[in-house]
Amino acid sequence: MELPSLQFNGNSWSVFRLGEKAWLLTPQVDSGSLAVIHQAANSLEKASIASLIDIVPAYNSLTLIFSRKNIDLTKELSHVNFASEIQDVQTHVVQVCYDLGLDWKELEAHSGMSKEEIITIHSSVDYTIAMMGFLPGFVFLEGLDERLFIPRKDNPRTKIPASSVGIGGSQTGIYSLESPGGWQVIGRTPQSFFDVRNEPPGKLKAGDKVVFESISKNEFIKLSGQNG
Amino acid sequence: MGKLTVLNGGLFTTIQDGGREGYRKFGVPVSGIMDEQAYKLANEMVGNATNEPVLECTLKGGEYRFDEDAIAVLTGAPMNPQLNNEPVNLNAFFKVNRGDILKLGFAEKGCRTYVAIRGRWKVPKVMESCSACTMGNFGGLFGRALEKGDTISWEKLEGDFDTREILSNQMPYYSSKITVNFISGPEWNWLDEKTQNFFLNTSFKVHTQSNRMGIRLRSDESIKVPDKQITSSGVIPGIIQLPPSGQPIILMKDGQTIGGYLRIGKVLDIHLNRLAQIPPNGYVRFKKTFF
Repeated sequence: MELPSLQFNGNSWSVFRLGEKAWLLTPQVDSGSLAVIHQAANSLEKASIASLIDIVPAYNSLTLIFSRKNIDLTKELSHVNFASEIQDVQTHVVQVCYDLGLDWKELEAHSGMSKEEIITIHSSVDYTIAMMGFLPGFVFLEGLDERLFIPRKDNPRTKIPASSVGIGGSQTGIYSLESPGGWQVIGRTPQSFFDVRNEPPGKLKAGDKVVFESISKNEFIKLSGQNG
Repeated sequence: MGKLTVLNGGLFTTIQDGGREGYRKFGVPVSGIMDEQAYKLANEMVGNATNEPVLECTLKGGEYRFDEDAIAVLTGAPMNPQLNNEPVNLNAFFKVNRGDILKLGFAEKGCRTYVAIRGRWKVPKVMESCSACTMGNFGGLFGRALEKGDTISWEKLEGDFDTREILSNQMPYYSSKITVNFISGPEWNWLDEKTQNFFLNTSFKVHTQSNRMGIRLRSDESIKVPDKQITSSGVIPGIIQLPPSGQPIILMKDGQTIGGYLRIGKVLDIHLNRLAQIPPNGYVRFKKTFF
């Protein structure tokens, strides 16, 4: 159900009631919606609204899930101190063993570039974590160089190893858990960014920065204790 | 301390409780029991706190040996339950002696049966919940469905308790043809009037590939899908997705946190119980409603 739009965080947001306890908010901006969403999500997290149990940022929307049905959204948001900038943006260095990529043939053929050129481009960008999900710990990164855009596989793999780094369309990201998937696999990281035994389970958060650092297979084995 | 030994895992039996909230930003679904009504009833009937974990059996239950005396109850779908080869009733607690074997068969009606014992199954909490999320391989018992040879301990609750009884005319009835109420989703109005009416007047068949992530529906004639895309956004259990195939999917408790298919509606939370009990090859109709 479409509701009247709301003003907060210096922007106008369209509001859709997605479910009894869930609201979908979309900022009405021409560009840069991701930064606006991350700022709002960050402010909402900091506000610790008791009835607000889930804040789910995505590329152009923010989904809010409350613990009860009868929520006056305007009132709930009126107490939030919206800041224009996120104070605690972290940069995470993610080591990648590109030799463990599974789809180099496709990547080279599609881009018309060599493996070395692709690695240089992929590891020279400051990426922004756009969102996490759809699967537990899956990290979507914004900022992929358009020379590396490549369609998803026609037939998704039934199993992509945990900690794989992949490219799907115009996006790059990290499969934290082993799962089926259609992205082209460019490498694997020895680091774990999602561990259900930890609280919170993930070290990364939407809005943080990620840079990739190329490592050799020997370094991968040393760091991960796996043979790849 | 009690102990249960799994002699036969059944088709797909997992440990579930009320689920985990607050982790969707990491891509972690809520999980938890599919049929909230049957779950609540189970814990109430053995005098447990409301959020205690239970076993959730799907379509065909397993076989379990109790290695300690217990008070147990079964709610949800009738799976021809037997204790030492003698039939036991659903929706009423019963005493189990050490060595007794509880055996469940195929669901005669419905889809999911809950097994609760008086006390607390001892399974570690992951992100504040005991619920198994098998797609993520965490929670429950080793993040997977129960298998032959598994043992689960429980902490007994001693003393008298108040049980809840339900009258025979209040027993839940599980039909293989259900109607669920839904509210329109962000893209409902992308469907033209003819397509909307088709959706409202079609009895969709439940596909055998339906599971805790989603109920997949089929119709002879598929829904005409508008040739427009949306940017992936947050989704919740109950959301009716319309993929390019024109065959809708209703997201359930293990459903993904973010989705890119058109969101044509959201089944009301109170009707998710009905969907939890709809077996494969059952039929679902939709009725549009408002908050």
